[in-house]
Amino acid sequence: MKSIRRCQRVITLFIMLFLIGMAVLVVRIDRDAPFYMMHSEDHELGIVYDRSGDVLFDGTGTGEYEENHFLDVGNLIGDDKGQMENTLIAQNIDLLNNYSFSEGLIREGGKAAIYTTLDHYANRAVYNAYAGADGCACAYNYKTGELLVCASVPSIDVTKGYGNIAEMKSGTLISKAMYGTVPGSTQKIPTLITALELMGTEKLFSKSYSCSGKYVNAYGDEIVCHYSSGHGMQNIQQAIENSCNPFFAQLVADPDMPLEGIKRIYRTLGYSVNDDEPQYIDINGIQCETASTVLTDTDEFNTQWGCIGQGETLVSPVQMMMWESAIANGTGKMTMPYLIDRASDTYGDVSVLGSTRFSKQLFSEDTASAVRQILLTNGADHYAVSVPGYTLAVKSGTAQVLEGAEENALLTGFIVDDRHPIAFCVLLENKYGTPVTAEQILKTMLDSLCS
Amino acid sequence: MSNPFSYLFSCIFVIAAHAVMLFNVFSSGSYESSSDAFILAAAVIGLDIAYSFVMLFFRQHTFTVNFMLLLIINMSNIFQSCFGGVSLDVKHYVTGIAALVSCQIGFLLCRSHKRIQNEKKIVYICMILVMIAIVTLTGSRSMWVNIGNFSIQPSEFLKPLLVLACATSITEQQNKVRVWKFYIVRENVILFIMTAAICLLQWWCRDLGSIPTFAAIYAAGFLLRICYPKAKFSKKTLIAAAIAVFVIACVGVYFAPDYVKARLFTDIWSDTSGGGYQQSRALIAIAEGGWFGKGPGKGFLCDIFAHENDIVFASISEEWGLLTALMTVLALLIMISAPLFDPPRSYYHGTLAAGVCAAFTVQMALNIFGSCNLIPFTGVTIPFISAGGSSMVTSGLMTGMLTAAQSPEFHRIPGKKRGANV
Amino acid sequence: MELTPLLLCAATAAAIDICSLVLILCAYRERSTGKKRWNKISSGMELVEQGHTHRLLCDEILIGRHASADIRLPEMSVSRYHALLTVADGVWTITDLGSKSGVFVNGVQIKRKKLRENDVISIGSRRLTLRKRRDVK
Repeated sequence: MKSIRRCQRVITLFIMLFLIGMAVLVVRIDRDAPFYMMHSEDHELGIVYDRSGDVLFDGTGTGEYEENHFLDVGNLIGDDKGQMENTLIAQNIDLLNNYSFSEGLIREGGKAAIYTTLDHYANRAVYNAYAGADGCACAYNYKTGELLVCASVPSIDVTKGYGNIAEMKSGTLISKAMYGTVPGSTQKIPTLITALELMGTEKLFSKSYSCSGKYVNAYGDEIVCHYSSGHGMQNIQQAIENSCNPFFAQLVADPDMPLEGIKRIYRTLGYSVNDDEPQYIDINGIQCETASTVLTDTDEFNTQWGCIGQGETLVSPVQMMMWESAIANGTGKMTMPYLIDRASDTYGDVSVLGSTRFSKQLFSEDTASAVRQILLTNGADHYAVSVPGYTLAVKSGTAQVLEGAEENALLTGFIVDDRHPIAFCVLLENKYGTPVTAEQILKTMLDSLCS
Repeated sequence: MSNPFSYLFSCIFVIAAHAVMLFNVFSSGSYESSSDAFILAAAVIGLDIAYSFVMLFFRQHTFTVNFMLLLIINMSNIFQSCFGGVSLDVKHYVTGIAALVSCQIGFLLCRSHKRIQNEKKIVYICMILVMIAIVTLTGSRSMWVNIGNFSIQPSEFLKPLLVLACATSITEQQNKVRVWKFYIVRENVILFIMTAAICLLQWWCRDLGSIPTFAAIYAAGFLLRICYPKAKFSKKTLIAAAIAVFVIACVGVYFAPDYVKARLFTDIWSDTSGGGYQQSRALIAIAEGGWFGKGPGKGFLCDIFAHENDIVFASISEEWGLLTALMTVLALLIMISAPLFDPPRSYYHGTLAAGVCAAFTVQMALNIFGSCNLIPFTGVTIPFISAGGSSMVTSGLMTGMLTAAQSPEFHRIPGKKRGANV
Repeated sequence: MELTPLLLCAATAAAIDICSLVLILCAYRERSTGKKRWNKISSGMELVEQGHTHRLLCDEILIGRHASADIRLPEMSVSRYHALLTVADGVWTITDLGSKSGVFVNGVQIKRKKLRENDVISIGSRRLTLRKRRDVK
């Protein structure tokens, strides 16, 4: 009867609710089990390969490798020990997990692997080229976004553990290319882009300023040039080639460069201006800083100094390299770098596939071609001897760090080569304290990538 | 007995199921000497056969619930005996037998349609006695009474009593008394006060986990009461009740002590060695077990505190596989869904069945979902699967009520005039 | 993973499952037994009203106009909760629940009465006859 049916309905209600909960639970366990497994003491990781099948990380612990085989990529690839968080493995450990819920833990023969886009040979060559100096170098294919080289010196061999962590130099456990550094004169590229966007090519090329070794701005502060006798009257092409600070200080102070315009274009380029939220580029889970600066008044020292690449300005080498891609492609859109070409799960099936992506439009195609031409001319005029054999577009930079106690050398640019479309950024720390030069490192990198 | 074939088939299949499990223990379990496994097998199969015979002495129309109970209790025996190495868990075995006995006691008490309804004062007196016992006997606001080596959780016994109270008060819905301007059913008021008292008591004892169980029993009773003949089903009543529950829950959370709040809002993965220890271990264990488990006695979870009751689902999952753990839960669900297959014939028995169903599902939900981090973690037990004497016995009593609903007795009560004072 | 433990675990789960299934089948089969038993308890009675049969399937049956009544008689002459049929030891009893128009058994108004076979119950304008079920074997 109805009353009894009501009893049955109440019972059914409770059972149905419970079953729904159970279903949710089972789905959740099935989905999240690999994550739970990562917290287990006996999980089993797979292997990370470079683009030609060389091993960059061996989670199985079975392979045998020569001394320091993993040293050059240690702080980029990382490991599962939890010491380094912003690394490929720490961020993608679920891809490397030799586990599936239906089969349980797979101890032997699990095929979980990450195939990266890195070129281990070139990476190691670059690492060795530093020859005791510190710094970082990154290069990627500006057409596809494949990250080819990302070496950061000093680095760590993860197979040797962290026993001597107290004696490690600072910066050992991070890939420096992902973190902001003082850009020096390479900052003149974004300033050049800003000027082109605000004025247009013709107007900018029609402007010329004089350099007498220093420039006194409206508030009476001095912007000094590295060439104390002065460059005289220059146009923008000459100023870039001379890397002339007074020229750029005057350019920033020009009424055609309004502060709001500079801020807007800097923000589009990825800067966090003044107190903006810091921004990050995501490279397969690895957080890469973009750039930051302080812009308050175009007539004022700090703003001018920031636009020249000193003072408060910080740019990460990866970000510089990405701007080069927007110039090299001629589109004004950056190619987004990626590190994981593909990943296979524990059965060997492809689980993640890397793909080429582009950023939004940062600047116009006209600007891109103008900057491209300026940089190519600079490369042809000044780097044909030190880095021979390439159609090179490049801008150098010298960044004062530690209150001017040390100077870092930077090189950022790209090569025009259909087979090897490479954009790069090289940072050599304390350039006067070491026999190697940034040009030598760049040459080694390009030679090993294009051979 | 009305159906010897059913009886025979049930017997054979229950023993077969246990035999397969024991075979699993033999071939892939971890035990030091095979005699341990043999003792376990003998104990389980012996209990199967013995109870199958004992069952015949109780005049029941259908033995389905009894066989389900036997299946579940001996499964639980096998599970519990295998945690961390195979050897018969004597304590659990004894409480299992106690649960079977209390099931038959529950059956005898509740089978008659009218007996307890007429003696319902005894139910209330029992409840009050248990509550007094909790207040006076448990030390320092805890929920345990220690008698020698045994720890009894008296609040467990309130569960079957509350189910009984709900069921006995159901037929009194027509006896409305006019108090001031309202027509009130005295039984409903008493029941509400009782439930509120129990919940407050549980609060005081810091046993918040069992409050949902009592609330669910009362809710099942309430739902059925507002549908009872001549108690008008009013949507307004229902909505008002729902709002009241919601408000009480919110106020409860707001005024909850800190340790409760900590459990409500905790991310177990950021604190795997502190507050999230048991849950994270449980989930890792389930992940390690996978669908098919590691093998009886080969889990690591047996080293974790409360592996045999609070996170028993994960323990079973790890050693026997999630599939078996789900099947175990399914067996329990099938047992409480027996009234759906063979409907009860009186409102009293229907309410008993609904109350038992509410109590069991809520307990299972709290335990399983709690240990798997879907809801806050509480120390509630899964009926029959978790170890624990009080829980086993009271769950047995409640299963007895289910049995009673399946094999009711309808007696004429001489001299009782029902509905006379309408 | 090795095959043997996997098969064993699958077998365990299957065994529990099959056992539960068999028990449920038994329960379902015994439904008919339960019905027979109920027929014995309720003397296999049913209420008949001009070719329409109301089966009596539990021990308390509410007759009335309200939607929640077990036997619903949608007529204004019937109170919302009119009468209650109860059974004990195979004897059905009808109780008037304070209806406006009253309950008549064989033409006599009653408050509470034990019913016999072929008694005619008048509720409002409706006539219901209690009789043995025809399809009971």
